[in-house]
Amino acid sequence: MATIGNNNINAKLVLLGDMGAGKSSLVLRFVKGQFLEFQESTIGAAFFSQTLALNDATVKFEIWDTAGQERYHSLAPMYYRGAAAAIIVYDITSKDSFEKAKKWVLELQKQGNPSMVTALAGNKADLEDKRKVTLEEARAYADENGLFFMETSAKTAVNVNDIFYEIARRLPRAQPAQNPAGMVLSNTPAEQSKASACCS
Amino acid sequence: MFSPQAQKEISYGFPSLIAQWKNTIITTTSTTKATHNTSNSWKTPCLNVKFQDLYDFAVEGNIDDVNVLNEVSERVRQQAKVWWALEESKGANWYLQPQISSNGEGISVASLKLSVLTNTISLRKLIRKGIPPTLRPKVWLSVSGAAKKRSTVPESYYEDLILATHGKVTPSTRQIDHDLPRTFPTHPWLDTPEGQATLRRVLVGYSFRDSEVGYCQGLNYVAALLLLVMKTEEDAFWMLAVLLENVLVNDCYTDNLSGCHVEQRVFKDLLVKKCPRIAAHLEVMGFDVSLVVTEWFLCLFSKCLPSETTMRVWDVLFNEGAKVLFQVALAIFKMKEEELLTAHQIGDAINILQTASHHLYDPDELLTVCFDKIGSLTTNAITKQRKKQEPTVLAELDQRLRRLNSVKLNDEQ
Ligand SMILES: Nc1nc2c(ncn2[C@@H]2O[C@H](COP(=O)(O)OP(=O)(O)O)[C@@H](O)[C@H]2O)c(=O)[nH]1
Ligand SMILES: [Mg+2]
Repeated sequence: MATIGNNNINAKLVLLGDMGAGKSSLVLRFVKGQFLEFQESTIGAAFFSQTLALNDATVKFEIWDTAGQERYHSLAPMYYRGAAAAIIVYDITSKDSFEKAKKWVLELQKQGNPSMVTALAGNKADLEDKRKVTLEEARAYADENGLFFMETSAKTAVNVNDIFYEIARRLPRAQPAQNPAGMVLSNTPAEQSKASACCS
Repeated sequence: MFSPQAQKEISYGFPSLIAQWKNTIITTTSTTKATHNTSNSWKTPCLNVKFQDLYDFAVEGNIDDVNVLNEVSERVRQQAKVWWALEESKGANWYLQPQISSNGEGISVASLKLSVLTNTISLRKLIRKGIPPTLRPKVWLSVSGAAKKRSTVPESYYEDLILATHGKVTPSTRQIDHDLPRTFPTHPWLDTPEGQATLRRVLVGYSFRDSEVGYCQGLNYVAALLLLVMKTEEDAFWMLAVLLENVLVNDCYTDNLSGCHVEQRVFKDLLVKKCPRIAAHLEVMGFDVSLVVTEWFLCLFSKCLPSETTMRVWDVLFNEGAKVLFQVALAIFKMKEEELLTAHQIGDAINILQTASHHLYDPDELLTVCFDKIGSLTTNAITKQRKKQEPTVLAELDQRLRRLNSVKLNDEQ
């Protein structure tokens, strides 16, 4: 859930997708501007935070980079519960990863919160010669399902910041009356809205 | 099969810690305890230094962390003296005596039982103070029941098992191969082809022993540390077996990790009971502690605590059982109570917990809180709580699967 106070937005964001699609690499690129071939593997999910300044707001992302083989999927609800945004990642060189991405989309549609901003990222766009999932196919799927879609490359950094900025832009903005100026950022409004939006 | 050189460096002989530090910045100051004065004289008080810890992990910390590690290694030396003295007075392997709970073979005399009981109590105390790294393999095999487990199968069991895995490709072996280069990739031995091949044999071997667990991510970290301690892969294998089959809750690593879900629920109840202020505060914040604690339980703290601290937790784990995992997790929260109570954002709370756990270089500091400040926690109580939570967890997991299946059906229509 996005916590809204003045122009400060706190937003939980979760990355989902097949193992090897490049979730961790996208996060590492976004948060640290790096790309590494071998990172220590994550158990469950790794947490990062990153703040983006937009014209009308500052968005602080709490990022959950999920990981793990099939059996770890049972932990996923803990990470997407209460999330304001999700990035579902597939690898453009793997049809299978695209199918897995569709499953995640369905899971979020079924149990997530309907106002969640959901992005579809076709990663490894630098590997054009190995492409197995066409741009058109993915775009059509994204349109059908109300996702916004970008092809990214964690390696070359193409569209990586853009996808996070676009999510930030699409997050709901504060209603001025809700938080009078000068007030310390409070978690109470989020708490109240969470109770109703939380899936159990 | 296991490099003798690597072993020597890993834990044997316990050369002065200082000799192992490869960082030149600290070599001149580290022998004398860096007091407050000396650290004040540094231009940057929080100067970060890189060095290797007792198990050769690269550590980055400030001069205070270095001092703590220095003290810890001194305490380890003192503790080793105590153990050696005991071996001398009580006889080598005095702790190898059958535990009272064993099937009673060979302990028919009541007086022997009494001495066993005294031994059990003094052994518990002693182990909570730490097993010297040189004795760890022997003591762990004995107190955990791994030695006994091994004694029930033919001598060649492990060798045969590994032979049977040759050339076989399974989903488990594929996952293991994917994870090997990502398991503590900065560790000097685990980063070698030989280190990875050894770790592979242990993990693949186990996946063939228990097809239900097969291989579960997280076990790579556990098995890697077991190798660094046990030094022979067969011993590491048996420790892994006893851990999964006897020490931990069932189904921690199988299927949909249901055992792990159970432990998380038990832990949350305990947090409310043992640290009510923290629990209440985090609840208001909307912070689900499982977001952090799940990894602690699945990796048995190997990814979040410094290596010697993890080993001290495992000393107790193998001797007293899985309840120590709850005590340690509670202790980490307890130690950071004041800070956690001032946190207002989930991200801050997570950072507090992660930073705290990464910097727990002093195992005694943690274990003191664990055993003296949390209040008693019995294995029976944990067992009861698990029984209570299990149906809820299974229902919840089942519900999710059914929802997903109905998703699939809708999709096909
Ligand atoms: N060429 C290329 N490789 C990538 C890209 N993103 C990730 N990778 C590689 O793909 C592998 C899996 O990436 P990782 O981030 O660990 O995937 P995750 O399992 O989804 O977190 C790693 O070897 C990465 O180096 C990319 O954009 N281009
Ligand atoms: Mg990853």
